[in-house]
Order: sequence, then structure tokens, then C-alpha cells
Amino acid sequence: MADDRITITIDGVEVKARRGQTVLEAAIEAGIYIPYLCYHPGMEPFAACRMCVVEVENGRGFPASCTLPVAEGMEVRNNSSQVHELRRDVMELLIADHPHGCLTCHRVDLCGPQDVCLRHVSVNDRCVTCPKNERCELKDTVRYLGMEMESPLEYKYRDLPVETGDPFYDRDYNLCIVCGRCVRVCEEVRGDNAITFTERAGQALVGTSAGTSLLESGCEFCGACLDVCPVGALVESDHKWEKAQQVERTICSHCPVGCQLNLEVNRFEKVVRSVPEISSPANRGQGCFKGKFGLDFVNSKKRLKTPLIRRNGTLEKATWEEAFDYVAERLDEHQGDTFAMLSASDSTNEEHYLAQKFARVVMNSNNVDYTSNTQPDAVNAQREVLGFGAATNPIWDLENSDCILVFNANVTEEHNVVAVPIKRAIKEGAKLIVIDPREVELTRYADLWLRPKPGTELLLLNGLVKALLHQGLERREWLYENCSGLEPLREAMASLEIGEISEQTGIPQDTIDAAMRVYGPSEHSSIVYGIDNVPEELHKDCASALSALSLLTGNLGKPSSGIYPLKPGANSQGAWDVGCVPTHLPGTSPLEDTEARQRVEEEWSIQLPQAKGLGQQDMLRSGQVKALILIGGLDHPTADALQTLQALDFLVVQDSFLSAAAQRADVVLPRSSFAEKTGTYTNLERRIQSVRPVIAPKNSAAKPESWAICQLAQRMGAKGFEFSDTAAVMDEIARIAPIYGGVSHQRLENEGRLVFRPDVGNPLPTQVLYSDKEYHGIQWPCPTTESSGVEILFASGFGDAMPRIPIPDYRKIELAEDSAFPLLFTPGRVLLQSERKMTVIKGLSNRIEREEIIEVHRDDGQVLGLREGDMVELQTNGASLKGRLAFREGLQRGVVSSTQLFGQLMVEVEASQSPDPMSEIAGLNIAAARLVKVES
Amino acid sequence: MTSNAESLRNRAFQAIRGQKPETVTVLSCLLAVEDELGYIPPEAAEEVARVTGSTINDVWGVASFYTNFQFQPPGRHRVEVCWGPTCHVKGVMPVIRQVMDILGIDGEGATEDGNVSLRFNTCLGACANGPVISVDHHLMGRITPDGARHVLEEIRNGIPSEDDGAS
Repeated sequence: MADDRITITIDGVEVKARRGQTVLEAAIEAGIYIPYLCYHPGMEPFAACRMCVVEVENGRGFPASCTLPVAEGMEVRNNSSQVHELRRDVMELLIADHPHGCLTCHRVDLCGPQDVCLRHVSVNDRCVTCPKNERCELKDTVRYLGMEMESPLEYKYRDLPVETGDPFYDRDYNLCIVCGRCVRVCEEVRGDNAITFTERAGQALVGTSAGTSLLESGCEFCGACLDVCPVGALVESDHKWEKAQQVERTICSHCPVGCQLNLEVNRFEKVVRSVPEISSPANRGQGCFKGKFGLDFVNSKKRLKTPLIRRNGTLEKATWEEAFDYVAERLDEHQGDTFAMLSASDSTNEEHYLAQKFARVVMNSNNVDYTSNTQPDAVNAQREVLGFGAATNPIWDLENSDCILVFNANVTEEHNVVAVPIKRAIKEGAKLIVIDPREVELTRYADLWLRPKPGTELLLLNGLVKALLHQGLERREWLYENCSGLEPLREAMASLEIGEISEQTGIPQDTIDAAMRVYGPSEHSSIVYGIDNVPEELHKDCASALSALSLLTGNLGKPSSGIYPLKPGANSQGAWDVGCVPTHLPGTSPLEDTEARQRVEEEWSIQLPQAKGLGQQDMLRSGQVKALILIGGLDHPTADALQTLQALDFLVVQDSFLSAAAQRADVVLPRSSFAEKTGTYTNLERRIQSVRPVIAPKNSAAKPESWAICQLAQRMGAKGFEFSDTAAVMDEIARIAPIYGGVSHQRLENEGRLVFRPDVGNPLPTQVLYSDKEYHGIQWPCPTTESSGVEILFASGFGDAMPRIPIPDYRKIELAEDSAFPLLFTPGRVLLQSERKMTVIKGLSNRIEREEIIEVHRDDGQVLGLREGDMVELQTNGASLKGRLAFREGLQRGVVSSTQLFGQLMVEVEASQSPDPMSEIAGLNIAAARLVKVES
Repeated sequence: MTSNAESLRNRAFQAIRGQKPETVTVLSCLLAVEDELGYIPPEAAEEVARVTGSTINDVWGVASFYTNFQFQPPGRHRVEVCWGPTCHVKGVMPVIRQVMDILGIDGEGATEDGNVSLRFNTCLGACANGPVISVDHHLMGRITPDGARHVLEEIRNGIPSEDDGAS
């Protein structure tokens, strides 16, 4: 290790550097400041701004330190007068066409946003016309160079119109310094290429192809370009001018990736901006449209502020005391199996834990679940095979996989940041196999896109297993050492006819074989699966089959070779871990496990209920449940589900808004949002991370459910709910859940690593704009306080728990049984369809005009008497879509498909009146449909 | 999709396909399209992106970098005025003003009726005869504002320009 380090000096200070590092990187690590504008951590050096020039002893000229590799004994001068003078000259060129009234005003330190200072400033471009006021890296750099008041008052104004037409953010290219960070982050990091450099020389700028809107240029609205922009050229349009009073790090509540976000809060306790954290291991500085632009719901005026009790048919304001008294009284009538409890998809681990403890201890019922637990069979199936129903490897391991198989998952929209390492891997030459009847963003990158007829997914997976074995691609030696069950599987597979599978699924035999020839031999293959569109009855076996595929090729227990189940809901993983599911106890032990039961009963000093619990879907279907506590809204508030809620004897809803479910409640309790909570989330890679309170809304009685549950339990005379804070809840979890044994709030805080922070009095711009501490969380299993968690499961083998390769069932589900809707509609959504003409009509909210294309197989079209080019209406139960008919050979018979543009969705989200539109985005669900010819 | 766009796409694709050099790049494709169509319509940029496996934004980055590429359909007649140093010294500026006045345009581009397109050129290679203009790739030297008016009138009247359109 020591041999790898070489020594250089910067201004006489010795700095240890790693071979291959650049001088700038070595300086940043050593806490030495070299000014820079185009460099950004996580991207290749670009050497465009020339701000980081240095002098090297016995070297020629002034090399840019961002591209200068370190060499043993190198003597770098960062502070000589010549270097300073050159940097000032460079800066003068940069600000020659950047409005810089903010630099030359002598009052600049005194005024804030909204201050008008016309009378004090002789130039007419007041600093407050820049939305990046006080956050601008360019301004800080000019100040660092000591040239602010010397700056010339004259500059060449480009006089370009500000692009305000796109959703979520504005682009003002008058302020652009063409450092290229945005273009590079979009291409290098995100793999999207939605923006590019345009023109050249003095006219060079950033823009889109032919100046089209971002809606049609392939933008995924992740906001990565905003986060790297050093000036005010790219800024969020919401809260554009607001100044942050404080910044707090927390975890996003939209999906289980667990992105660390720095939330900026203004002096009115409003979250005004969200900036993903660079040092975060789960998201590495990346975010998505939801985490970047979809958090305004916490500021909504529509949020519930007081408890409501239904009196004479209407919900009336009440105090918490009254609400607790009433709920406690009514719940007493519903002890046992007629009671059920649903925790929210974004509840913290502590809250999930308290919810299940409440149901089991106070109400003596195992009917406890979380609202987004839509695929419990899949989780259980993977657990049965591998011992864990979670991702085996870290998310960013995907970046180095050679082959990635994505099964039925709309990753780009639902677990967005997971798509980033996948796209990066593809760029490095990895192969991508997508199995999905829908056209999703990743199919564009797929080497093989297998598009089975909906309902036959399991047959196809059987076919893949068979093709793998048939071609002898299994890792026999590894299997003999690590697994059992190979021969039984081989026998079971021998009876299958691949020809029949091919016929049923509609996937040619060659393609099935080819997919396994790509997946099998590759050194590091990973599987990412969502199964959100597979019929529920097939979940279990699909997950088994996928586990079998990863076992057969020995792709477990090593880097970049994992299996990643993608569940919906921000803290689904945590809910399973702490037992907020009807079938499992805290620590993921099954309810029937006597040892685990004993451990829990001892800690809780009660007898656990015996009866099997109902899951979230059965609770609303069975008619057994008479009283329900629902936290958060229903994930899919269908008419049927709402009907069931209406019919309950007693319904308590704790939510932030008066949702459809809350409107049917007997008691409504106001709920704190994730931004007001203390606790932990566990992300999909098993990483336990701290959720911190960011805001404290005024004039609101909203409380987190952890508080409400404990209060209610105590009101009902239960013991074991006297927690001083949520940290105490985690301590209890650690006592009874072995995988969390070494986890505590204190540890999660203390193990953060302090990093160099620019001195506020003497602003050193860029890089570590927000981080003062790095938090890595803990990846369970972490049984003791000495354990630092496990990054990659089974890295040291399977031990005693040698997995048995499962034999998946061989069956399909007939989906199109409804004679009124004989076809299956597979909706698709992609970022870019440049070959399709569209018009963006700009206004207060945009409108997109475009002709939709509805695709079917030629045979189906002819049976229906339709011709290519006909205007048709695609009707499903409750929705319709008009478009022009096109015949596609790649489609299965009986399937109708239409692919929309992601930009259309963004326009809808932007125009939505709902307080939390991002969480209401419907997935791409397969539905029964019919086609009707209409007049064009 | 209109048939016109479809035909542009087709012609662009044929031009890209028909390239002789073995190395096909974004730039070579763009040059082939420019030769075929006289400009780069959006459909052609998409075809270039598709064939070369890049994105439309990449193609646009390259295309807009080079001033040789046009993005509007050229007029039926192409007038180029040299505004290189020599022609500048020899008095091309009044000629340029005259040409723009007559054509009713303000800078490079095509006239409203699509009859004439004007471009500025930094050297037409005949400095000794400056100021120089070229009409449909036909050079004319020692041009004066009056001479330019004469030439443009001829174009408008549909008379093919003669060798000695100059004064």
C-alpha cells in the first residue's frame, strides 16, 4: 500500500498522492485549494476553464492541474504571483460575457434576495437578477482571486431569451460560462445526452438539437445538470430566488434506492431545493425527477394540521387527546383477527416496527403489513432459496457487471438511480438483456429484448434455465461446492420442450439460446428484477427461477454479480426486516420459528398471536377485517379498495393529506412527512441510513406515526411503548432482530466521516459545497457493534446454509379472458422518440401535441378488419387512447402496444393540482383492451 | 408524417448509405447529406444519428460546429458575397448592404419566396479581382452596388447570369 503512494509538494507542502491521480485531485484530498470551474468530482477532467493552472518546477508553461498526472518529486507552485496573474487574466476573459454586477457592487454582502438596490448601484444588472445569488461558484472564485472590485464594469451581454418553457427548471444561457459540466454529466454520468455543445468559438454554448425543448431531446429531468452548474444558468423554477437558511441531509422518501439528499430550507421552514449528496454510497451525487423536483409536497398548504373525528357524518377538528380517547375506546371492540394495521410505504424502520408491535401486542393480531407490499411471494421465494429477500450486492456494483439481465422492471422511472450504473456498464461494453412485454427506457440499450406474451413470463424463465443447462453453460465446479439440487433440476428441465416454450411465449428458440449464451459465460452477470407486471400467481416461481439462474452461473458472493429485487416503496426492505409483514417477525424470522417467537415474546413480555395474519391485499378482500389503522394513503386507491374501506366498522387514517382513503375514515390523524422525522430507512441494497428532521412546520399538530402509535398504545393500557425517542426503538429492534444487532442511531451518526469544508468567512468555492460529513450507513447483516455490516452477501461462501437450486413451476396465466376486452395492452414509455413529430405548445403549463401510434401484430389487425394507418381508439376499462394503427412483427398476437414519451408524463406531473403528484404516477400496467376504428 | 418529410428522410438515408469512404463518421454523413439536399433537415440529423449510433444531440453538436452546414432549405439561386479582408478593404460593405436591401433580408439566409439565398464567405479565392461575389457558383469580380443590383434583377427576371455581370 505504502509503495503505491508518491510524494509531491504543493507550495512546499508535502502531499501524498496515489499513482494515476491528477495534481488537482491530490490537492483536494490534502485540503489544499486550487480554484477550478469545469472540473467536477465523478467526471473526467475537461481542462476547459483553465482556472486550475499551476506552475511546475522545471516544467514548461502553465499546465492545468486537473489533467496533470502526479509524478514522484513533482514540485507544484499554486500560489506564485505569476500563477495568480494568469488566473486573473483567464477570469477576465470568462467574465467578459458573464453579467457580473454581483461582483462590482460594494453592498453585495449586505443585500439579500428580494432586496431592491437600484439607488445604490450604478449598473443596471443587479446581483439579485441572478438566481444563484450567494451560491455561485464563479463569484466565489473571482473573490478568491482577489479581483472583485477590479472587474471591469463592461461585459458583452448575449441577450438570449431565458428558456422557461420546460418543466421544473429554467435555462438562462446569458449566465453560462460553457464549462461543459452539464453536457458532461448528462453524457458521461447519466448516459442520456439530452444536451450538447452548439456552435463554436465565441458563439459556443450549450443547447439541444436544433434548439428543441428538453421534452423532446431525451431529458429524464434528473436535475444532474443543475447540481453541477457553477453559475446561475441552470436553476430550479420552483423557489428559484429563495435563499437557503440551512441545509440538512436526509433520505428521499420516493423509492427504495435510498438517495441521500441535501435539503435546503428557507427561513419559513420550507424545503426550497434538493441536492443529491456526492459522498453518498447509494446514489453518488445522483438523483431523479422525483427526488429533485418532487418534494414540494412537504410544503403544501393542503397538509392536515389537526386530528379530525367524524361526528354526525362529517369530519370535524379535534385535539389529539380527544382522538386518542375515541380511537382507544372503539378499538377495544376489535381485538384479535378483525383488526388490521397498514404501515406506510415510506414509514421508517422504527415506525414499521412500532406498527407491527402495536398490532401484535395491543391488538393481538398478525394482520399487519405495509401498503406497498405488492409482491410478498417473490420476496419469500428468494428468501427460501438464498436466505435473504434483498439485493445481494451494492447498487453501484452493477457498473462493473459484464452482463445485466433486467426482468420486468421499469427501472428508469421507478428506481431511477439504479439505471445510472446500468447505463454506465453498457457504455463500458456490458451486455444488457431486457425481458419485458413493455417498451421501457432500458430496452433502447438492450442487446437482446425478449418480449414475451404477458402471462407467459414464467414459461420463458423456464426456457432460459433449460437453455442454460442444455448448452452446458452452468458452472459445474462451483455448483458442486456450493449448491445442491442440480440433478433434480436437470431432470425436471429435461421434460420441457423448448419448442413449445417458444411457441407459447412467442420468443424464437434461437433468441432464448442466444440470451443464455450472453448471460451464462460472462464473468460478472447480475439480475435486476421488478416483476410488477407479472400476474401475482407467478411471482413466487419467477423469483425462484431468477434465483436459479444466478446460482447456476455462480453469480453470487463476488463483486458485480448480484441479484437485485426492486420493490415499490421507500422503505419496503425495512418493513420486512423489522417484521411489519403478516408472515414474519422482526429480524426476518418466519412467524412459526419457535426460537424467534421466544425471543420476541421475552422482550415484549406477551404471548404472540397464533393465527396467521392477512397481507395488505387480503385485508381489503376477505371481509374478515372490521377495524383498520391505515398510515399514509393506499398505494392503489381503486374503487373496490375504497368501497371496502367505506364498509369497515372503524377506520383510522394517519396521513399528511385528506386522501380518498382519509375521506372515508372515522378518525383522521395528521401525519408528519419524512422531512420532519428522525429514524432510519433501509434501502434496497440493505443499507440502513439516517432520516433526519429537516423542517419543523409552524402551526401544525402533525406528528409522526411513531409518536401516535406509542401514545395510543399507552392509552389502551399496553406496556412496552414507553420509548423516549426513536433511537430507543432502534435499540429494541437491535435486541430482537439479529441482522440489526449492531445498529444504533448513535452509531450511524458517529460513523460519519468528517470532510474538509470550505471556510465560510473566506469562501473557497466548488466541490464540497454542502458535505461536511460523509455517511455510509450500515449494510445488514450487522449482528454486533463490532461488525461493520456486509457489502456483498455470501462473499465468504454460504457456510452451513448451502442453497438448494429451486425447480420453478411450469405454468402460464391466461390474462385476456374478458370477451369485451380481448386484447392485452402493454403500455410503454421512453425518453426519446426523435423520429416522431411533436409540437410543444408552451403556456402556463405546456401541452404536447402528437399523433400516437398504436401497434398490433398484422394478424390481429386483419382479423379486426383494420388497416395500417387507420385511426383507432384503444379502450381499456376506464381509459382510452386515440392513435394511428401500425403493424409490428415483433409483437405477440393478442397484444396491443403504444409507447409514450416521458416528456408527456412530465408535462402532466407539472400541471397536476395534486399536492404530491410524483407519488401518484401510475406504473406501466398491462390491461385488457380492445381496438375500435374511429374517424380521423 | 408528411410525405415530404418521408422523402427527405429517404434521400438522406440513401446519401448516407452511398458514401464511398470506408470510414463512416457523423461528419462524413453530414457532408453526404449536405451534398445531396443542400442543407441538414431534422429528419436527416435523425438518420445520421441512427446510422452512426449516436444521439441527435451529438449530431447537432457536430453540425452546428461547422459553418458549412445549413439548416434551412437553400433558395433556388445561391448568392455568396466575400467579406474577407481584401474584399473588405476594396469596399464590399456597401455591396453587402445593397444586396440585403434588395433581397429584403437581414444577414445570411433565404428570401421569403425561397428564390435566393445569401451567404457570406471569408474568401472566394479571387482577391485580385475583389470585391467578389458568386452567383450559383459563378464568380464575378470588381463588383459595385449597382453591379450587384443588376445581377439580382437578372436572377429575379429568370435570366441566367452572364460572365460580365460586373461593371
